[in-house]
Amino acid sequence: MPIRLNPNLLPDLLIAVQQSQQNMTTATTQLASGRSVNQLSDNPAAVAALVGNHNQASQDDQFLQNINSLQTRLQVGDSTLSSVVTVLTRAISIGTEGANGTLNDADRQAIAGEVQGLTSQLLSLANTTYQGTFLFAGTAVTTQPFTLDTTTNTVTYNGNANSTSVQLSNGNPIKTNVPGSQLFLNAAGSAFGALQNLYASLISGSNIGLAVGQVQSALSQVSIQRVFYGNGLNQVNLSESFLNQDKINLSSQENSLVGVDPAKAASDLVRAQLANQSTLSATGRILSLPNLLSFLK
Amino acid sequence: MGTLSAGLNISLQSLLAEQAAIETTSNNIANVNTPGYARQRPDLAETPPIQIGNLTFGTGVQLQQVTSLRDAILDLRVNQETQQQGQLTSFLGSAQQIQALFNETTGSGLQHSLTAFFNSLSQLSTNPSDLNVRQGVLTAAQNLANAFNQTSTNLITLQRNVDVSVTQSVSQINTLAAQIATVNAQVSAAVSSKQNAGPFIDQRQQLINQLSNLVDVSEIDAGHGSLTLTTNGGAALVVGGQSFQLAMQTDPTTALQHVFSQGSDITSKITGGQLAGQIQIRDQEIPTLQTSLDTLAANLANAVNAQHQAGFDLNGAPGGNLFVPPPAGGVGAALVFSVAITDPTTIAASSDGAAGDNANANALLALQNQAIVNGETPLNYYSSLVFKIGSDVSNAQTQQQSGGLILQQIQNLQGGISGVDINEEAANLIRFQNAYQASAQVSSIINSLLQTTINLVQ
Repeated sequence: MPIRLNPNLLPDLLIAVQQSQQNMTTATTQLASGRSVNQLSDNPAAVAALVGNHNQASQDDQFLQNINSLQTRLQVGDSTLSSVVTVLTRAISIGTEGANGTLNDADRQAIAGEVQGLTSQLLSLANTTYQGTFLFAGTAVTTQPFTLDTTTNTVTYNGNANSTSVQLSNGNPIKTNVPGSQLFLNAAGSAFGALQNLYASLISGSNIGLAVGQVQSALSQVSIQRVFYGNGLNQVNLSESFLNQDKINLSSQENSLVGVDPAKAASDLVRAQLANQSTLSATGRILSLPNLLSFLK
Repeated sequence: MGTLSAGLNISLQSLLAEQAAIETTSNNIANVNTPGYARQRPDLAETPPIQIGNLTFGTGVQLQQVTSLRDAILDLRVNQETQQQGQLTSFLGSAQQIQALFNETTGSGLQHSLTAFFNSLSQLSTNPSDLNVRQGVLTAAQNLANAFNQTSTNLITLQRNVDVSVTQSVSQINTLAAQIATVNAQVSAAVSSKQNAGPFIDQRQQLINQLSNLVDVSEIDAGHGSLTLTTNGGAALVVGGQSFQLAMQTDPTTALQHVFSQGSDITSKITGGQLAGQIQIRDQEIPTLQTSLDTLAANLANAVNAQHQAGFDLNGAPGGNLFVPPPAGGVGAALVFSVAITDPTTIAASSDGAAGDNANANALLALQNQAIVNGETPLNYYSSLVFKIGSDVSNAQTQQQSGGLILQQIQNLQGGISGVDINEEAANLIRFQNAYQASAQVSSIINSLLQTTINLVQ
């Protein structure tokens, strides 16, 4: 004799219907959101990894923004120094002209006057500002770094010898400035000192050649320091492409963590619908089965 | 030798017995959808035979008793599984609300604010003297504070809601215990007077099953059909016809309701049913999360403040606290997490007082990769927290599903024994109907025989 079965099939049938509806909902949610993980409990490990992923992506965005502002700052620094090179080159050429023995005092004084003009150009370049702060003041960005004492004709540096660095990506810092003292009052070749000496020599008519030599070494100092800005720009551009690549990697990582394969989700949905329909039809059939009483007349 | 009147008597008894059997069948069919109803079986038996000379004659049929068909062990197993289901279901209900507070799948949780705060410091390092950028740091710090406050407040609200549910569950438990006590007395009265206690047992089992959904119940057979119900921890719920009410008392420190039985606190000893799930959420899950959030908030605030104080602000003055220092021990730190300064110039980005120096901003930024929260970076600590919340829910779901399958199977076994099958009842009905009709026929035949006999003597 067979084991007596539970005559009430309804609970089992309802559970089956619920299950197939649940599967349909899951597949629909996955398709609609494009994600296989919509709640922490769907895949706790993936979500924990996703926290790090989102953090990294957001950091990358910030680093890219930093790079953008650095690029402009470094370009402004570089082009300013390019103008400085022009000023010093002009000083060398007129200085060499002044060293010519055939010139008289008046000629040399006229040249000295132009040197004075070049000094004030240099002064203005050395006091260049970017976004309201002085570019060549070290970290004392709010004080004008170079002032000219017109009575003694000497230039004083009011900035400091510090520089700042900014992270281009995690653990990848870059120096963002060269202090003005290093650029324009360098012991190995001071631009301001050289121009002042050239002026004095032209007025006095002696040692002009020596003074031109000093301007030349100041020029080579500025050129050496200018390399910093060129290198900085290169480094920043490299980091930019690295960060853009990293963002692509992060986004593909996110996709593999919580993304959904649309083809699979779609076929899951079709299967769930089919299962739901067949469960419902089976339920309907079973519940409307006639029982023995129907045959009693 | 038998008599005609004896035969008439037998057929009369048979009519009565079959009628009772039809009544039982009818009752079974009537209760086919009644929850907790166990099908009943009319137990027909021969009446004692009589001895006449050396011959033995049967004297007919009688309805000995009506038996309710149920399996006590299965009933017990159903109750046990119901306790576990009740616990997991109520735990999951609240745990799913908790995980919604930490929904990091879309990146809208605390991580967003935490990263944005450090990003604002990163931005500050590129232009430390810019007031707009400095204001950006304050805004990001304020957003972080709001995120901490909001998450903590939401957890507290959830805890209060669950606390209300605890009170409701206890009041339902008390109502059910009182009902069970009444039915329990009816069962033992019926058993003592040798009546069919089945209907009362059906009702009692149904009530105990409802009680099992609320709290862990241990059943002890007290004899004479009476049951003694206690919690698994031994707190009495029903003894004989008496129920023992659970009482609520407010905990003075947490302001949460504690469950008392006979004057002793049994809150932590509840191991099953909705009540256990609610207490688990209220007293373990939420406080653990709250502590983790507090740890994160307190350590972050302390580390940022210490570094901030090492620097100098835009006016060259030494830095103060960026965040309001967390309470000692960190308790409630997430709830009161707030920004201490409103003037953007007082952010200490410089490490030497120079306006353009960003070394301290860089040092503050570097905190995000330092193990400042219990030996972990703030973000890693937070992602472990997120993992724990997700896996708690996911584990409970798995347990609930497998427990649900077990319950379903046991209920099917129980239905196999106690469930009413219409086909079976219909077949029985035909059997009883045929027997009834046959007995009526026998009466009629005996009647005509008697008539013949009476006419004989005329």
